[in-house]
Amino acid sequence: MKLVVNGKPVEVAVPEDTPLLWVLREELDLPGTKFGCGRALCGACTVHVDGAPKRSCVTPVGDVADKQVVTIEGLAPDPATLHPVQQAWIEENAPQCGYCQAGQIMTAVALLRAKPEPTDADIDAAMSANLCRCGTYPRIRRAVHSAARAIKAGGGDRG
Amino acid sequence: MVEPHPSRRGFLGGVAAGGALLSLAVTFGCGGARERMVKHAESTGELAPNMYITVLPDGRVRLTVNKAEMGQGVGTGYATLVAEELGVPLERIDVAWADSRPEYRTSFFMHQTGGSTSTKEAYVPLRRAAAAAREMLVGAAAATWKVPAAECTVKDGVVAHAASARSLGFGALTKQAAHQPVPARPRLKKRAEYTVIGKAGRRVDARAKVDGSARYGIDVVVPDMVHAYVIHGPQYGAAPKTFDAEAARKRPGVIDVLAFDFGVAVVAHRYWQALAAARDVTVTWKKGTVAGLDTEAMRRAMRDYKKAGEGAGEHGDVDRAMSRAHRKIEAVYEAPYLAHATMEPQNCTVAVRGKRAEVWAPCQSPTLVQAFVADAIGGSRDDVLVHTTLLGGGFGRRFFPDFATQCARIAKRVKKPVKMIWSRESDMTQAFYRPQLAVMMRGALSPAGALTGFGAHVIGQSISFASRDAIGAVMPGIPNAMKHVITESIAAMLSTNTVPDMFATEGLKNTPYKVPNLRIAFTPVNTELPVASWRSVGNSVNAFAAEGFLDELAHAAGADPIAFRRALLPARSREVRVMDAVADLAKWGRPVAPGIGRGFARHTAFESEVAEIADVELVDGRIVVRRVYCAVDCGVVINPDIVRAQIESAVIFGLSAALDQQITLVDGVVQQSNYDTFPLLRMFEAPEIHVTILDSDADPTGVGEPGLPPIAPAVANAVFALTKVRLRRMPLQPAFDEAKRGAS
Ligand code: FES
Ligand code: FES
Repeated sequence: MKLVVNGKPVEVAVPEDTPLLWVLREELDLPGTKFGCGRALCGACTVHVDGAPKRSCVTPVGDVADKQVVTIEGLAPDPATLHPVQQAWIEENAPQCGYCQAGQIMTAVALLRAKPEPTDADIDAAMSANLCRCGTYPRIRRAVHSAARAIKAGGGDRG
Repeated sequence: MVEPHPSRRGFLGGVAAGGALLSLAVTFGCGGARERMVKHAESTGELAPNMYITVLPDGRVRLTVNKAEMGQGVGTGYATLVAEELGVPLERIDVAWADSRPEYRTSFFMHQTGGSTSTKEAYVPLRRAAAAAREMLVGAAAATWKVPAAECTVKDGVVAHAASARSLGFGALTKQAAHQPVPARPRLKKRAEYTVIGKAGRRVDARAKVDGSARYGIDVVVPDMVHAYVIHGPQYGAAPKTFDAEAARKRPGVIDVLAFDFGVAVVAHRYWQALAAARDVTVTWKKGTVAGLDTEAMRRAMRDYKKAGEGAGEHGDVDRAMSRAHRKIEAVYEAPYLAHATMEPQNCTVAVRGKRAEVWAPCQSPTLVQAFVADAIGGSRDDVLVHTTLLGGGFGRRFFPDFATQCARIAKRVKKPVKMIWSRESDMTQAFYRPQLAVMMRGALSPAGALTGFGAHVIGQSISFASRDAIGAVMPGIPNAMKHVITESIAAMLSTNTVPDMFATEGLKNTPYKVPNLRIAFTPVNTELPVASWRSVGNSVNAFAAEGFLDELAHAAGADPIAFRRALLPARSREVRVMDAVADLAKWGRPVAPGIGRGFARHTAFESEVAEIADVELVDGRIVVRRVYCAVDCGVVINPDIVRAQIESAVIFGLSAALDQQITLVDGVVQQSNYDTFPLLRMFEAPEIHVTILDSDADPTGVGEPGLPPIAPAVANAVFALTKVRLRRMPLQPAFDEAKRGAS
């Protein structure tokens, strides 16, 4: 089956009902996307499919054939530059164990593309899809706001 | 910056080579080690004066940390201590994780992370190790320039001699420095001289944790590795009776389907293949190890228990104080079993070669993993090499290496390296749990409202008893056969309470409140359900009972809750200062907005002092915590932003448990299985959290756990302030719903 992942066309030999999560992690060597619950409850496995956040643990790979899949590894515009959301995460010291953060960041990037200047309520609504056992929510909230400011000042999200 | 997973050393190479050169603070400068240090420097250009610090020829520093990074920021904290005393910028330090070699067993004979002890343990020794390296580098520069060492200065990894305008980077000095004597007592900076410690630096692991490059146990890849998915039984600890795997074996990629007493392992070339094939396996199960266990029946039995319990701490005569009291108050506080629900499900990777094994595990104690894997494969623990990966959360769960035992047994049979990943459901239903507890409280008040007697009797499973295998496993220098005997006698003493239980009454038996008559007691309850340390351990329940009950007593005495406590604490004590700090922060005593209830609680845990005030509102019957104010005294602060983050983390972790979480069993079957039935707070429910850190000159104390104990009682006390409903049972939301139903 053919896929486009992080801008690159790839081919994988797996049944169509294989969860995208494991295809990314095991077939494409992209382990940044994490397994947390396997049932669309935690958001740790969030990736972008055609720009929209999707839980890869319950997305059959057959559903994303010919669509654009972006993972945490493909978010930065180039190896030397982080995405403004990633940068904001570092500046707010948001990650603790870090395990949920790839999913958090993917959700936040999608939020900011839809709502470049989100209110607290917008952030709560979007980011409540993602669980964090370490309780980094206050920092994530701040980081989303500061990323929004950075994107605005920097002339937009290049992703 | 953090070195990712598997080892740079070969299979068991580290053990054979004898590893690091000098053991910290013990063997500085002793003969053979010194020669090795010089040789190592000559051949590699690396200065490795002790087992923690290696200065590389490019001027970077490798810091080997013998702790597990599970989010608490230990890598950053340790790097900060080294940056300060060595004189290099934090950014030039690369953190690597120590493997299981014996010299890294510096914490209670173990390489272990728990009890909020990491910073406290390292504060002096690690700075000394860094200062020693710095003095050697300075000595080397001074010798090269033929100037007195005292005239040289160190800054940003460069030694300079101002008078002659010469300077050399650390990287250029490593070989000569190895010939310098290792100073036994290097000079340490005074607190006033600190330029890195106490500043809110960035986490050293942040970059890897935002760009997808951080590697956890679940990400381990080793050559030839295969994958295992384990089907566990519905009842806790059930072993398979029969299984039919014919269809599964025909699935693509499946290598084998194997039965063990803990479940059925489906092994395949890929994990997704094992997952898919597992659907085709049918298993019938024997009775589980706790068949018949019903937590609701157990709860009733515990709360109706009438006997006095074994004393864990006592002075005066509480019975007499109660009989003479102007007012006496009694209440039962209750807490359920809880899972840790680390975001990264339990997993492990093991390669077995004969009687040797190599393990990659997100674990809190590689020493325990060594012992358990050795048992599983019939080897000895020093033939097991364990690499600790990053942990996707620990909270006490990853101390208990059942995952390593299971993976080692699978790997032994498969004869290939195996990575085993549990489903979330296995992680939650076949776990170790915080014990379900009842705490019987009693208090005697004088006519003036003074507390004259205070009693607490904890009833529940003993974590020490449940940890007996672990205690036996790590005792130094004792042959295997003896260990089991010792383990059994420890168990016997614990179950009869001959040995006082370490965890059951913590936070009660060491209460700072001065009461003339006091009795703290414990009655162990035995079930085969394994219990474990869970972030802040006994404190997490005992603070709920003690601080909730003190609020009851304060109200009964007609006193302000903070003033009531102040009367029980030494004037100007640390406890009082922290209480006053949080009262200031929250403007305690001023009227709060309508619809808001405010509650206070404080607790001492892991030698740190935390006081919290919660502002609570009711929204359609839901307890909503709007704001939490926290004051903390944890001694000298290494990184204030990490202290804040840990307090925020503990508050949110504690709130999830306080409001909603419980593990219940019906006929030995755990009723919760994933985040739908065992909910975590989500962002929209997370309160604003304000933290103030008290300035202190005392050596650092715990930070990862002490923020947790006060939150549940602060919220319960706030609910009382708002509604006059007294909540004495966690989780609070269902208890509140029940109280409302009862009242209407
Ligand atoms: S792993 Fe996909 S939502 Fe939890
Ligand atoms: S940072 Fe640990 S789960 Fe979110």
